[in-house]
Amino acid sequence: MFFLMLRQSFVKGWRRKALATATIVLAASLITALMNISIDVGDKMSKEMKSYGANINLVPKSESISLEIGGVNYNPLEGQVLIEEKELPKIKEIFWANNIVGYAPFLKVSAEMAGTAKRVPLLGTNFDKPVAVAGDEEFHIGVKVINPYWQVKGEWPAEDDSATILAGAQLARELNLKAGDTVKVKMPGVQGGEELFTIKGILSTGGSEEAALVAPLPVVQRLAALEGKVQSVSVSALTVPEDKLSRKARRSSDALDSLEYDRWYCTAYVSAITHQIEEAIPNIAARPIWQVAASEGAVINKIQLLMIVVTIAAFIASGLGISSLMVTTIMERAKEIGLTKALGAADREVYLLFLSEAALVGVIGGLLGCAVGAGLSQVIGLSIFGSLVSFNWVVIPVNVAISVLIALAGSLMPSRLITRLYPAEVLHGRR
Amino acid sequence: MADVKGANLTRRRMFLQILFKSLKVRKNRVAITFFSIMIGASVITALSSVYFDISAKMSRELRAYGANFFIGPKVSSASRNAELETIREMVAMVPPDKLIGASPYIYGVVRLDLGNAVLAGVDFPGLKKLSPYWQVEGKWISVDFDEDSCMIGKTLAKNMELKVGDSVNVIRSETGFQKSLTVKGIAETGQAEDEQIFVNLALAGQILGQQEKANHAMLSIVTEGTDIDALAQGMEAKFPELDAKPIRKVSHSDGRILDKIKGLMAIIAVIILTVTTLCVMTTLIAIVSERTREIGLMKAIGADDRDIVRQFLSETLTIGLAGVAAGMVVGFLLAQLLGQAVFGSFISFRLMVLPVTLVPSIAASLLAAALPVRMAVRVVPAQVLKEE
Repeated sequence: MFFLMLRQSFVKGWRRKALATATIVLAASLITALMNISIDVGDKMSKEMKSYGANINLVPKSESISLEIGGVNYNPLEGQVLIEEKELPKIKEIFWANNIVGYAPFLKVSAEMAGTAKRVPLLGTNFDKPVAVAGDEEFHIGVKVINPYWQVKGEWPAEDDSATILAGAQLARELNLKAGDTVKVKMPGVQGGEELFTIKGILSTGGSEEAALVAPLPVVQRLAALEGKVQSVSVSALTVPEDKLSRKARRSSDALDSLEYDRWYCTAYVSAITHQIEEAIPNIAARPIWQVAASEGAVINKIQLLMIVVTIAAFIASGLGISSLMVTTIMERAKEIGLTKALGAADREVYLLFLSEAALVGVIGGLLGCAVGAGLSQVIGLSIFGSLVSFNWVVIPVNVAISVLIALAGSLMPSRLITRLYPAEVLHGRR
Repeated sequence: MADVKGANLTRRRMFLQILFKSLKVRKNRVAITFFSIMIGASVITALSSVYFDISAKMSRELRAYGANFFIGPKVSSASRNAELETIREMVAMVPPDKLIGASPYIYGVVRLDLGNAVLAGVDFPGLKKLSPYWQVEGKWISVDFDEDSCMIGKTLAKNMELKVGDSVNVIRSETGFQKSLTVKGIAETGQAEDEQIFVNLALAGQILGQQEKANHAMLSIVTEGTDIDALAQGMEAKFPELDAKPIRKVSHSDGRILDKIKGLMAIIAVIILTVTTLCVMTTLIAIVSERTREIGLMKAIGADDRDIVRQFLSETLTIGLAGVAAGMVVGFLLAQLLGQAVFGSFISFRLMVLPVTLVPSIAASLLAAALPVRMAVRVVPAQVLKEE
């Protein structure tokens, strides 16, 4: 009898049920899409944040303190410890290798420009160079990868073309240089350290590079007789925001017990990544650039919080929307219920009927909503971030459960109202 | 003539009476309609308020990245110093509510107990706001008149074997200055600051023998609603000896991130708007569909189709307007809740929110009422009244 009534209610009142299902589908798809986005937004924004440049700096582990003010070094270069260039691909072999977006080595020397007595910094780096690493065929290193804000008026020099160079914007203004000019650069104190360069472009970065000449790394190494050496490396890595655990680890990694240590090591904290880089390459110190690393965490936390709050707001709104629909669809069946009661149905049975109807509608609506919502979140991902949003399977059970719960909660109140009515009054049409 | 007029009058009275009765008698139904329109409108109001305010809010959050504006002597000028007074005047040109923090800097090499180091003179209260990303062990120096304390970079502290609370001798041979300072905090930034020692500007002036001077200044300015290039030009026009410019690296990235966040919020707001509107529609359709019998009765006693549609639409419009009005109030409160939870500040009210909420809510309500009524008026009254 019960199943007959349930089936009848769906067959005869299909329109009513379709409306209820449609509403739940809409609400569930909204919640699915928002949940998906808020779970993934951290990763996505973290990628976008890479436009602020590298967040880790590798320097030689040395005891000397640099005395540099405004790009002028008051410390002689002699005896300085340098990093071996051939060690660098090891950065791509650490536990979090996939989170390393790219890196750029730097070698900064002081050069003399022929014709002027002026000393200028000469910076050697890679611009955009493919590097063979296991598991990533497309891996490129260089400043174009990690510092998207570097802008060149003119052309970038070729990677190994020894006769081309970039001039910093400030230096170019000062010495009236422009693309196409040639400059003669001399390394004081190095035999044969003299070469003629063609300026390919003018570089603006907003940093100290604007006062320097920027040349391909091999050229500077050759000029300074420092083959295979670099001075510092900027690394751009995808990280998760700092939290209590990573702050504790930073104070001293001995303070962690083994469980905490494992959790810290296997989370993409900037401190864990620097630790792993230091493990992979001996004799270097990896330091987080907090301006990028800490600020990134702060901003991403804000965006995540925003998304969560918006999801909750949308969730409450769709919950109320579903409830109000449930109220209408049940109230309009007063007559039918009056009849069943007159025929001897107990209140309990009426409840059971309504609640199972609601549950059924909730399950169907929730599942359909998940499908629609998954599609919606991909639309959002593609249009904003240009990449697919990863689908989190947790969303499906959570969503179906939520849909059913809302549908049940929405039905409870009107079911109570309706079972309280007197059959005779309802059937007579007074209520 | 009089007859027609009389008929019109009765018709209007009849119309108003039905409207009034239908609102008064079916309190449940009116309540649900009102309620669902109100929820829809409040969600739309809240989200659009947040959306219109998001740039201003996030632009402030992005200042976590620190300085985005630089003031210093022109490259062409021989001097590497600027008068502190001039810099202060330039900083004062920034609208105060847009200025997050600012600090002048002066540098020089000093001798510490165990070796040489770069000493930086800064304005600590300004610096703390300017660089919230500094990882400080110990404490920040919180006042700009403290002349007995210093902060020290992490690498330098390690090399000089200094800890928080230790004291360090600072010696500058050129000026014959010597003083013992307490290390109040050890700072880590991962950049040049790690190898520097920081003291207050006035003290640095004494140490380096360059009072009331600075090498340059860094500022953190909210870019949203400020024409930062015009500001830079204004400063340079007034003080031509100095260079004022936005820091490219930061301002360029800020713009990109802001665009992404705005785009994300926009598309989410549009989706929520659509879905909520559709939700309201389904509820209204359900409510109106249940009144097929009533429509049959009205037709049976001589109402024409147009009258019935008009009747239902005005009913929905009345409830809808009330619902939207209430929804806007609730939604604006909801927006404040959102703003407090996420940004810790209030969301400002914008007039744009009114049409953005009103138009879709009312349009959806009317459409939702019109669809089932139009279907209902087509049926033969006798059939409906017989309940088939």
